[in-house]
Amino acid sequence: MAHILVVDDSKIMREMLMACLRGLDSMSFAQASSGLEAIEQISLQHFDLVLLDLNMPDIGGIEVVEFIRGQDRLRDLPIIVVTTRGDEVSREQALAAGASRFLTKPFTPETIHAEVQGLLRPPGQVA
Amino acid sequence: MDFHDYVEGFLAEADEHLGSASAQLIELDRAARSGQPHPRAVRELFRSLHTIKGLAAMVGVEPIVDVAHEMESLLRGADRAGGRVPVTAVDLLVQGIRAIEERVTQLARKQPVAPAPPRLVAALSALVVGSLAGAGASAAGPRLGLPADVDAKLSASEREQIAQGIRSGRRVVVLEFVPAPEKAERGLNITAVRARLSALGELVKVVPRSIPATPGSLAFSLVLVTSAENQSLAQAVEAEPGAVLELTLAEPDGPDDSDGPDDPDDSDFGVRVADDLPVQAHGYVRVDIARLDDALEKLSALVVTRFRLGRAVAELAAAGVDTRALDAIVGETTRQLRDLRAAIMHARMMSLAEMLQRVPLLVRGLTRHTDKAVTLSIQVGDAELDKSVAEQLFPALVHLVRNAVDHAIEPRQERRRQGKPQDGQISILCDSLSGTHLTLTIKDDGRGIDREQVARKARRPVPRTDEQLLELIAIPGFSTRDEASRTSGRGMGVDIVKRTVDSLGGSLSLQTSPGQGTSFTLRVPLSVTIVDTFGFTAGAQTFVAPVAMVEEIIEIDASRVAHAPALAGGHAPALERLAAAMIERRGQAMPLVPLATLLRLPGRAGLPDASKALVVRLAGRHRGEPVAYGIERMLGRQEVVIRPLEDPLVRRVGITGATDLGDGQPTLVLDLVALGATLFSHARAEP
Repeated sequence: MAHILVVDDSKIMREMLMACLRGLDSMSFAQASSGLEAIEQISLQHFDLVLLDLNMPDIGGIEVVEFIRGQDRLRDLPIIVVTTRGDEVSREQALAAGASRFLTKPFTPETIHAEVQGLLRPPGQVA
Repeated sequence: MDFHDYVEGFLAEADEHLGSASAQLIELDRAARSGQPHPRAVRELFRSLHTIKGLAAMVGVEPIVDVAHEMESLLRGADRAGGRVPVTAVDLLVQGIRAIEERVTQLARKQPVAPAPPRLVAALSALVVGSLAGAGASAAGPRLGLPADVDAKLSASEREQIAQGIRSGRRVVVLEFVPAPEKAERGLNITAVRARLSALGELVKVVPRSIPATPGSLAFSLVLVTSAENQSLAQAVEAEPGAVLELTLAEPDGPDDSDGPDDPDDSDFGVRVADDLPVQAHGYVRVDIARLDDALEKLSALVVTRFRLGRAVAELAAAGVDTRALDAIVGETTRQLRDLRAAIMHARMMSLAEMLQRVPLLVRGLTRHTDKAVTLSIQVGDAELDKSVAEQLFPALVHLVRNAVDHAIEPRQERRRQGKPQDGQISILCDSLSGTHLTLTIKDDGRGIDREQVARKARRPVPRTDEQLLELIAIPGFSTRDEASRTSGRGMGVDIVKRTVDSLGGSLSLQTSPGQGTSFTLRVPLSVTIVDTFGFTAGAQTFVAPVAMVEEIIEIDASRVAHAPALAGGHAPALERLAAAMIERRGQAMPLVPLATLLRLPGRAGLPDASKALVVRLAGRHRGEPVAYGIERMLGRQEVVIRPLEDPLVRRVGITGATDLGDGQPTLVLDLVALGATLFSHARAEP
């Protein structure tokens, strides 16, 4: 059972993301509508994966990635950042800050499945 | 799965973002015209567009993505320039919002979405706002006494915001909030803390900090511009008052453009109490209206059950069981159901002001390419209406406003020649005093409607009254312009406005004066309205009447009552027939009419049953004259939901609707003012 944190300030976007992933192996979700909420939740409970939109108020996704990676115990927490076209700069910065993968809107359910499964599968297992 | 299923959700969110973007643009426009930066508006606008872009990309509406993308780039540059935007850029942004709105509407109507307008896209990308960086933007910025890691995170705009806060005489403080599982369980999380602090001032920045010494290793530093004192600030984050850190400004020389903080409207754009954070901090939730309808249906089922329970208890009582305790419980349940219904209905209401949020931007767009200037005034107070009514009414309102700008308001020169102020005045006013009806007036001080031109166009005789004139222009397809005016296009005719109002069970009226102006008044019964009412009994029946109508509730003191002969005989045959009396109150005599008799209810006629009376002032021809309605018992004051009685056969003067007090029986709502008019009518009184 994988516990996933979905972070996006748009409720409909969060719903779309969760709907995509529900088809995969057993997953449970927590939601955050801002980077600050995400950081707070991460500090209070364990997650197996974080899906993070880069465009959010008050604290951008990049800062969230930086903060997470700055914590020893979270250095290997899988983070997938979600960006849009034209956001290439932010995307590079996020990856440089330590994000594991990125998704660009619009993406298909298949794409997100691939990224998530790739990160959740224990290393050494064959597809 | 298909993301197209999410179009409904996209439309709802897009709508919200477009609404707030419009509001931000108005502020940005004002700032741009006076050469001032407005970092907050720029940032919020950027975020709204970025969100719209992302969502549009997911549901596959490319044209919206394209327009949003260009607007976003422009705003990114503006943000880097410290929140400065030239007026020309604002124009383009406004056009961009309109282009997106059009396409959102097309999507909502399941019509093909037009491609992105190429010239607008080109113009947006050609405008490079970043080249203005350095012009006034304080690059280094004032030094603030912040902890180094917090200071490092501030953008130029945020520094400016803080500096403005200090210059305007407010305090700038830094507070620390440490999250913990037990706090989160009580609902004290970072979102709650932000909401609390936003109520105390303007939250500029929140910085998460890793502090090994604290549990969970996390603390949030919050930078706030405020006038509140340490005690309340510390309470909001559950810290010690002493832990509040105050900042001071260390600037080498004062700014040259510091307007005083005296005029709250024009100066310090960045300094405003609360409202700095996005909607999430305010505890709002978006609700699908269908869910509320569903909840109402379930409530109706509950009401029926409660009614059956009441009957079962009555049967027990008839069988001799002592049911007093049960009665009390059933009564309590009735009250609770009524309250629950009111609460659900309340959730369906939206504020009129919110509905009209986009109108200023519309007007601005309409006047942009003309030589007209318009000042729009919206005075609707905190009137609310049911969301479904709002959705029908809004297009009608927009059409009337468009008409006013396009046809009624004259160009500046012409107005000057007529001795009118250069700016045309358009007002949207709301009066909902009756409690069951909403009266909206759209008024302009323009040309007025030319009766002769209308008559010619309609090939009918010249109308003599405003009512007749309205009938003519409400003929389907009517228009006094032969070609579609540039901004109105074909638009809706007044006939559609009339049809909308009629379908809502309301009325449309017109008043116009050549050379002086026109006003359209829409009167719609609110499909659901929540009104504060007094409950009372008369003739052994229960009624309610809006509190707003009742001037006073008086005890009937027999010594102050004089009987029929002393009446204003001859002028009020109805009163005589009702065997009314006169009652004296504070030196003034007014008719005292038992409500039971007026409504022809069974029960003992005459006054003995009336121990109290409701004093109401009349309107219309007898404006201001008081009447006292005798009633039996006051039942108290409560907020009720009113449904107008729609069946024309049931229309009676004085009864505006019905409500349910929770006992499953409809309770009539009385319009005591209208009822009073029948007392003085010379015709056979048929209330």
